[in-house]
Amino acid sequence: MSQGTTVQDVPTPAEKTEPQPLLTLSGVGKRFGEFSALSDIDIAFNAHEAHCLLGENGAGKSTLCNLVFGIHQPTAGAMQLEDASYAPANPRDAMRHGVAMVHQHFSLINELPVIDNLLIGKKFGRLNRKAEAEKIVALATEFGLDLAPFEIVGDLSVGQRQRIEIVKCLMQRPRLLILDEPTAVLLPEEINSLLDVCRRVAESGCAVVMVTHKLAEIARVADRVTVLRGGRAVAHSAEPSNDMDALVRAMISREGEAGDNRNFGVSALPPRKLAPHRGPRPEAMQIDNLSFVDEIGVKRLDSVTLTIAEGEIVGVAGVEGNGQSELGSILAGLSRATSGRWFAAGHEMTTAKPRQITAAGVGVIPEDRHLVASIGQLSLADNLQLGRMQRFARYGLIDRKDQREAASALMQLFDVRAPDSQSAFSTLSGGNQQKAVLARELTTPNLRFLLAAHPTRGLDIGAIEAVYTFIRQAADRNTGVLLISSELDELLAVADRIVVFYRGRIIGERPATSDNRDDIGSLMSGKAP
Amino acid sequence: MTDIPQFSPGIRSAAYKDMLGRIAIPVIAVVAAFLVGLIAVMAMGVSLDRAVSAFINGAFGSAYSISASLNRSVSLALVGIGFVIAARAGLTNVGGEGQIAMGGVFATALCLAPGMAELPFGLSFVIPLVGGAIAGGVWGAIAGFLKVRAGANEVITTLLLSFIAIWLLYWSVQSENLLRQPMTSSATLPESLSIPASTQVPLLTGSYASPVTWGLPLTIVIAIAAAIILSRSVFGFNLKAIGFNPVAAARAGIAVGAGVVTALFVAGALGGLAGALMLQGEQYSLKAGFSSNYGFDGLVVGLLARNSITGVIAGALLFGFMRSGGISMEMMASVPSALVGIIQGLIVVSIAGAAYFLDRRSVR
Repeated sequence: MSQGTTVQDVPTPAEKTEPQPLLTLSGVGKRFGEFSALSDIDIAFNAHEAHCLLGENGAGKSTLCNLVFGIHQPTAGAMQLEDASYAPANPRDAMRHGVAMVHQHFSLINELPVIDNLLIGKKFGRLNRKAEAEKIVALATEFGLDLAPFEIVGDLSVGQRQRIEIVKCLMQRPRLLILDEPTAVLLPEEINSLLDVCRRVAESGCAVVMVTHKLAEIARVADRVTVLRGGRAVAHSAEPSNDMDALVRAMISREGEAGDNRNFGVSALPPRKLAPHRGPRPEAMQIDNLSFVDEIGVKRLDSVTLTIAEGEIVGVAGVEGNGQSELGSILAGLSRATSGRWFAAGHEMTTAKPRQITAAGVGVIPEDRHLVASIGQLSLADNLQLGRMQRFARYGLIDRKDQREAASALMQLFDVRAPDSQSAFSTLSGGNQQKAVLARELTTPNLRFLLAAHPTRGLDIGAIEAVYTFIRQAADRNTGVLLISSELDELLAVADRIVVFYRGRIIGERPATSDNRDDIGSLMSGKAP
Repeated sequence: MTDIPQFSPGIRSAAYKDMLGRIAIPVIAVVAAFLVGLIAVMAMGVSLDRAVSAFINGAFGSAYSISASLNRSVSLALVGIGFVIAARAGLTNVGGEGQIAMGGVFATALCLAPGMAELPFGLSFVIPLVGGAIAGGVWGAIAGFLKVRAGANEVITTLLLSFIAIWLLYWSVQSENLLRQPMTSSATLPESLSIPASTQVPLLTGSYASPVTWGLPLTIVIAIAAAIILSRSVFGFNLKAIGFNPVAAARAGIAVGAGVVTALFVAGALGGLAGALMLQGEQYSLKAGFSSNYGFDGLVVGLLARNSITGVIAGALLFGFMRSGGISMEMMASVPSALVGIIQGLIVVSIAGAAYFLDRRSVR
């Protein structure tokens, strides 16, 4: 059980003089069959410190977390928790030792209130929800977490749900708290408050281990950083704010490749100029007074009108949950607008099915790669041709050779890396999966319009660049693009103009130039000019 | 996102594909179940010798018994193939019994329809077969439609539709206005008239000494076609996509609703065809207890086959011959044929259990 953790109200950096190693990994490695996910890892996680694990997709960050949390067992090396050897057989065992983990995917029961979710399995006999709620809210407030204990989880935003998961961990008073890419699902404002929570938890004496892709977060929160690449720890830093350049290099450096000195993400892209066009550009997409009321009666989209010209990239900025998902879902044909109409390349699509929308030349990169964009159990080749198998059919039977060849061509064209086209889609890295989805959608016959919803979410820097290069190339070939993203920097770098969503409405529009950054930011928070 | 091999059906089926999983385990399960059966026979105080020889005689002792066993296997195989096709789209069709009943009722009605017996070119038996298949198919498609339109779970709807179909069958053989033979005395049985000879499915050998019908080659053709369609056709691919992830399939432009309805139509149609064959190839008149559980045994065959048509054939043969043997054992050695049910149950439990442990091991 946890050691009586006391909250230090005013922790100052000066206090952290002598780091006390809480969990020490020595020579830890993990193999899955032939594949070595981690090797020779030596790390110490200290109490009172936030330790960030940085690395691209597939670098071994999640595996490392899973070893510490007992989901997997190391195949080499040993772990030591304070003075005792530590080899958790399963997560429950890890929790008994005071190790808790916040996963990327939540395990909450949406139909139940927050308080029930927190108390499940922890209480026996009579349940005094009110008293328990008070205790839990007090605990949450201690760490700066805002919690509404009687709300139904299903009604809450992703950020609020994550808070519940964190509180669930904190209720066990952990000595070591692991967060696996906690900010991947969050909005900019939510990220800051999450990072504050991490700081407070660390300052309370806990060791915090956080996996992330984002450098800005490290500068804010980390006392220590370890960079993983290819399953090895390639760099450590005890002063991350000062070592930022070195950390970036360690993370992305590819020996012998040009671009070691490049910055990360979109800033590597050349500035975009909308190609000149004589006269008014034809419309690729016309959204006319679209509204959407969800099943519980909340107006998620409120009279949205937007026109996207051919060859134009329009960015949708906004705090998540302000109607962007609903707009994406309608344009993908997965839900139907309550009122209003929309047109793709002049054809009315208001009540069209996905098949008809695709046939009208609309490509869709959905928000949810796993649930909507792909079928993990099928092969890469099958996913590249999903919905278009007819193309390879002779008398209704698929010509597999034909299909394989077409798949290989697409893989080459879009730089999808996999052992071969028959690999199960679920075994590819996130970046390669997304490139495969792009390959399919950008080769939609007669492509006139592309909807890209959070196309770079969870991807590593190299893949982000590739995704945006492909999207831009499509725009250069006169495809209209609607780009929904929560990364303002990406929108500024990639789009021509940006519309800002707030409470289901477009409350402003700005050219995508960096001097509009602050302006757009204040629009996102609902401050109409 | 996830950079480690995760628990996924891909891994599971790969493990099951190895020889151990595919052949050895079912064989061991069957042998072990039969051994338990033998112990049960001994416990009943029946001479093992008598029981076993009665069983063997009933299953393969003569051309007649082999033929009867094969006809039983045909019914089981058709239902099982239908189950596998629906399962490919992620659907569990437990309505085989009702689909057989609908097939039987409509085939009887068509066989007895005025003028049917006089039709040339074998149409006199082909039309009732097709009609029976369509009736079963519609019965399955109703469940598909309810799923697409109202989100009703097909496990529930196919099962409940089965009860409706079975009672429709009862009604139709109880009412003279429907299919019951004219009541000449109070002893007239509640069953239909015998169907005319020209509407009966011809025997393969032409002799009642070995009454295998043309249903056997038809089923073989259907099995091969089903295997090819599932593994190589666009339709089969679409079903698979729907089964794994209906949302992604819909987004990619696959007609999910149509796929679901079609899959259950085909499954039902094969059940209906089994019913029509049972009537036109074996029983020749419709009775209340017409199907005697082929629908549910066929479902078990489909479950055990784990999505493989070859597995369906093997399972159907095994269960078909076992059923014949069991009936003979009951008659000749007074061992209750329920014993066969017990052995079937043991086989199911051991194969399912072994598969479960294999899957778990391979995930480690």
